[in-house]
Amino acid sequence: MAGRGRGGKTGTLTAEQMAMLGCTKDMPVQTAPPPTFPPVLNRPTALETTATQNYQLLWKEDFLNRMRDSPYYIVSASQDTKNLVHKDWREKAMERMKLKAHPDFNYKAMPQELNISSRKRRGADAKPKLLAKKTNIEDRLKVLEQKELKSGGGEQDEAKQESDSEQEEEDPEAALDDEMDEDNDYGATYFDNGEAFNDEDDNLDDGPVY
Amino acid sequence: MSADYSHLSSAILEQCFGKVVQAVADCLFSATTRTLGQITSATKFSRKEVAFALAVLVKFRLVDFAASKQNPFLAEYALRREDVLCLLRYPRYVHLVQTKYGNVGASIAEELINSGSDTATGILVKCLAENENKTESPESYRNTFLQMITDHYIIKRPELLVGDDQDENVPKFETNECDFFRHPNIDLQLLAKIHKGEATLAEARDSHMVWNLNYDRFHQDFRDTIMVDAIERKLGENAAECFRFILKIMYNTTDPWERKLSNQITFVEIKQAIERKSNNLDLMKYLDQYISLLTEDSLGFFRRVGDMGGGVYVVDMEHAFESLAFACAECVITERFGSKAARIFRVIRSKKYIEQEDLQKEAMIPSKEAKSLAYNLFQEQFIHVKIIKKPGGGSNGPAKAFYLFQVKEKDTVRMLLDASYKSLYNTIERSNFEKNEHKGLIEKSQRLDSIVEAMKERGETDEYIAEIVETFTPPECEILNKVKNRIKTLSKAELTLDDTIFLLQMYQHHCTTLPTGIRKFK
Repeated sequence: MAGRGRGGKTGTLTAEQMAMLGCTKDMPVQTAPPPTFPPVLNRPTALETTATQNYQLLWKEDFLNRMRDSPYYIVSASQDTKNLVHKDWREKAMERMKLKAHPDFNYKAMPQELNISSRKRRGADAKPKLLAKKTNIEDRLKVLEQKELKSGGGEQDEAKQESDSEQEEEDPEAALDDEMDEDNDYGATYFDNGEAFNDEDDNLDDGPVY
Repeated sequence: MSADYSHLSSAILEQCFGKVVQAVADCLFSATTRTLGQITSATKFSRKEVAFALAVLVKFRLVDFAASKQNPFLAEYALRREDVLCLLRYPRYVHLVQTKYGNVGASIAEELINSGSDTATGILVKCLAENENKTESPESYRNTFLQMITDHYIIKRPELLVGDDQDENVPKFETNECDFFRHPNIDLQLLAKIHKGEATLAEARDSHMVWNLNYDRFHQDFRDTIMVDAIERKLGENAAECFRFILKIMYNTTDPWERKLSNQITFVEIKQAIERKSNNLDLMKYLDQYISLLTEDSLGFFRRVGDMGGGVYVVDMEHAFESLAFACAECVITERFGSKAARIFRVIRSKKYIEQEDLQKEAMIPSKEAKSLAYNLFQEQFIHVKIIKKPGGGSNGPAKAFYLFQVKEKDTVRMLLDASYKSLYNTIERSNFEKNEHKGLIEKSQRLDSIVEAMKERGETDEYIAEIVETFTPPECEILNKVKNRIKTLSKAELTLDDTIFLLQMYQHHCTTLPTGIRKFK
């Protein structure tokens, strides 16, 4: 089909239409894709470098270097691990500087979802709580140890206190009154050692009960 | 927005912000709006990285967000496609500010560009920190900043609406055009304290007012420069100065981004303005002749529309940029195909529709050559063919038709614009290739320069410094110089291509009804 231009840009034209336009058989037929760098008819004119352009070129180079070193130039963590190239002193120094320079975002003027650092996560919170419990337990154990040590020194005082309490217990009516005063139904010092197991008070003469 | 522009903006964002931001922007470019979740799944980066990239793009005013209509707690993000190209124009903006406001203004513009957007106090603190050894006072920085706001080079971002519900997921903003250039309250004493470290930025009273560069104000100046320079080249300096005054009078009564015609300007207004502000005696003496030169010239920048007040005139933006854009197109054709092809193009454009036989007569070019050049122009889409079928013809034989060449102006400009985007993308990629290819050599040279500087500061002997410099061998030096020259040439080409792109975009704004994103307040 005639009319097939470069990349089909010319659209479709029949051979007759091409002839009407003056494209005769003398026109070269394209049998291969055009070259990547086609020959230029005229030598390109050299670009002038005025003082303005010099200023702009230098500023642009500085700007691109500044942006690359700024905290706004993001390198993905996945890409960073792939580039296992030994980093020289300058790259390491730049990375350290980048880590120190924090990006200055006004998160109040942005959707909340963009402020990843302040978002609460359930998983992240659980761990600190567990750690806190552990430290509390350790501290508590230490406190209890200290109390025990203190209580070891003060045992004599405690013994005197106990003898006073025993004298109080010899008064059964007073003990009963104490027991009655408690809220629970059971005596705190009640203990059955099983000696009353074979007593005649057990009603076993009537035979087994089914 | 074409695929060529998409590749170009991707390359620009990768240069400035890295691959993560590039991927996020590519995802947003191909859609009207996207949510954070959609971007994360499309780009395959982690949610944290995508959120960070979006925050960077919002800060640098390249992405807008709004609450979704279906779910007001979900934000949808949209890329400001036309603003991505402005990243390439930063050197021009800074240079313009430097010529108007000096080093102080350039310092302010630079800090605003580096941080994307910031409060007035924040910017001035950074400027003062950067210029420790210089003698500029905080007052001069503050005055320059306020002057730049008055002249509309710096614009305030819409203020955050503080609602009752403080846990709003998507913040809302108040847009009030009267508020965009309201001066902030800058406390010089607090500024000095913050600079010394005795106070923090949180204590500043203007923390709710965030500022950034007003790109379209800079574009207005670039547009004026194009027109004034064209008149200076064709009609001389005095005519150019006269036109500069005319433009200033025009902005008093016309929106600077009015698409086609300005409001009317009288001869009396022009005369009064020139007598008050100009020192050019020739211009004042022959003002009426310069004005008639401007109105009669084929460029068509300035037109007479009435006789009241000594003459009523309008600035015809549409005609002006049509002339300039097609002058640019003719230059491209001359470079690619020669001057005869440019003549053929001019003939077709002036005749609107012309047949092959008439074309070679009008252009005065031999038949075979005219056919070949016309076909080349047709292949490259500078000209098009209109087929008009002849009526009748009977049942015998095929129907005959007229084949007329024509220039579809808007299509030609769009084709040139796409070619420019592609060229700019190729230039950037080639520049990156050269830098990556010789990365080791460039880094070695930079390391050596820093070592030599440190040695000079320490006061080392010249012989010792020369020994260190000799570690960089002559062949390496030669290769490095060639690479640097190539990169410099490519960077110059980028600046020149951007000039062409700007001109063609101005054509699209003034000569078509296409939405260009250019307006007085963004």
